[in-house]
Amino acid sequence: MGKKKFIDKKKAATFQLFARDSSDPNYSDAPGSDKVFVRVDNNRVSFNTVFDEDNHYYGNTQYNDEEDSIFADAPGDDGDNDDGYDRVVGNPSGTDMNEKGALPENVRREILELGFPDDGYNYLTHLREIRNTGGGSAFYPNPKFKPNQLPHDVKAYDASRVQISNSRGDYNEKSIYTVASKTINVRMQKVVDPEVAALLDDSDLSRFGSDVEDLEEDFIVIGNMAEGEDNESDKMWNLIEESEVTNEGVKDINHDSGNQQIASEEKNHRVEDKPRVRRLLDEQFDILELQEYGTDDDQYEGYIAEEEFLADKLKNVLNENDMDEMELDDKYKAPADLLHGSERPKSKEILDSAADILRRCAEYAEKYENEGNNEKMVIVEESSDESEQFDCESIISTYSTLDNHPGKIEAPEVARKKKLAETVSGALGGKNQVISLRGKEKLPVDFLPNSRKATTEKVKSPGSCKPEQLKRKPNRQETKEEKKERKVAVKAERREARIMKKATKELYRSEAQQAQKVAAIAGPSSIRLM
Amino acid sequence: MASATATYAPMKPTKAGFEETHEQIHKIRITLTSKNVKNLEKVCKDLIQGAKTREIKVKGPARMPTKVLRITTRKAPCGEGTNTYDRFELRIHKRLIDLYSTAEVVKQVTSITVEPGVHVEVTIADV
Repeated sequence: MGKKKFIDKKKAATFQLFARDSSDPNYSDAPGSDKVFVRVDNNRVSFNTVFDEDNHYYGNTQYNDEEDSIFADAPGDDGDNDDGYDRVVGNPSGTDMNEKGALPENVRREILELGFPDDGYNYLTHLREIRNTGGGSAFYPNPKFKPNQLPHDVKAYDASRVQISNSRGDYNEKSIYTVASKTINVRMQKVVDPEVAALLDDSDLSRFGSDVEDLEEDFIVIGNMAEGEDNESDKMWNLIEESEVTNEGVKDINHDSGNQQIASEEKNHRVEDKPRVRRLLDEQFDILELQEYGTDDDQYEGYIAEEEFLADKLKNVLNENDMDEMELDDKYKAPADLLHGSERPKSKEILDSAADILRRCAEYAEKYENEGNNEKMVIVEESSDESEQFDCESIISTYSTLDNHPGKIEAPEVARKKKLAETVSGALGGKNQVISLRGKEKLPVDFLPNSRKATTEKVKSPGSCKPEQLKRKPNRQETKEEKKERKVAVKAERREARIMKKATKELYRSEAQQAQKVAAIAGPSSIRLM
Repeated sequence: MASATATYAPMKPTKAGFEETHEQIHKIRITLTSKNVKNLEKVCKDLIQGAKTREIKVKGPARMPTKVLRITTRKAPCGEGTNTYDRFELRIHKRLIDLYSTAEVVKQVTSITVEPGVHVEVTIADV
């Protein structure tokens, strides 16, 4: 062809029109400056044209990025080095080659600070500013974060408030109570209201106690001694008080006794401001404790001697009642068994008590049973069958709807029988000797009470249809009126057929019901009637 | 003389009495592409009107053949049913306008509101 091109693309500069970025300083809404021309080709052509004046900003950024990019040291596509390009704005030229090799010093320093290796790559480009934006993740500075952390194999506790007792090594080190003595409870930091803290620390709760506090604790003792042995109880009190006093005295005097040491140490271990006041409960606890564990250790002998009789006293209080002894036998025996069982001789007391129990049980049961007899007797009168005569109302009310369907209150039986006799006689005197069974239920149609009418109607209708059928024209040429007539006739025919069907259906159904009734009483269940 | 004229920069003969002294005339080709014919034609018309107002030599608009990108797919998302197909197409229209003028003027000419969807490309070559 050899058609000369208007423009040789390889020697031309191509610009595309783009919408200017609204953050560009040159942006304005005027038609002229909301768009900007951007050079898109890489030809070695220079045009110092107005097209590019506005593009200084873009041109620089677009093509200087190449210096920092990872492809900066890749060979050019044409095989030429970058130096061959003219220095025209908008050209991928070899401008600004200074920073190609090394990152600026401040950048390098920052990279090192963050812990990244110094290999010439600018890791700062991958940093993300910690803001609560995007991605659903949020940064909250942790108030409890401690930057100065100990190495992992070191554990530190704050034990500044621990009171360490002046321990003497005299006491017996075999004591089990000294096992944990070396441990010092350390109070960790707790954020507690000073008032709450005071309440928690306050061991002197006696001001919250009641006056009758002591009595409540001894209710077992009192209950068992309720038979009038008040002297003993008084003695008990005295003894307890005495023991308390002696304990105090012992405490003051006996410092060498290990128990005291331990007790005091235990108290001190609780890191409290004032020692706890010993209560009656503490005394009792100590007594029991000695009983249980006292034999393990020699040191308790002193104590045991003193408090032995008190312990026995407590024990013996419970022994007052023989009832408990009785029940401590190996087998449980009911009072009746005790009375009548003859396994071994029992004391009179036991027998008496058993008898008493039995008597009381019996009385209670009688009382309980006879409570119901005071209720009023409700008399329900039942109607007897023979006393009443039936009237319509009662019949209707006492019959169920199976027998007395509200929709079908038929003529009384007498009239029906008469009619039936009529039909039967008519049928018997009829045409042939065969009783034809017709319909779904296979009933002898001729003998049905309403059959006379049905059969006569049936005889009529087929007859009426036939002459009409003959009338139908052999050829398709029929006028509109004839067509209409024909269709009307057909419709009438169909209507009559429908009525017939309905009538016979009703007929059959009532008969079937009657038959069902009879069959329910007499007939075998294999016959399917309806 | 041919040699004498050859020393000068090749300049297209302009209209009489009209000289562009310090500004060089370039051959400028404006390529307009769009999917939308209406907008495209409107832009073309505006450009040519603008150029004619400024009495620049204009050639155009040259209508390139429309490129039709067709995609024929089954309508059904599953394989069941009668195999009916949808025929989708995308039409790209291209117009060319050639001018002979300085870049300054062209910039003014193209400073019209460009309809949305119309892509403008300007190629400058020396005359």
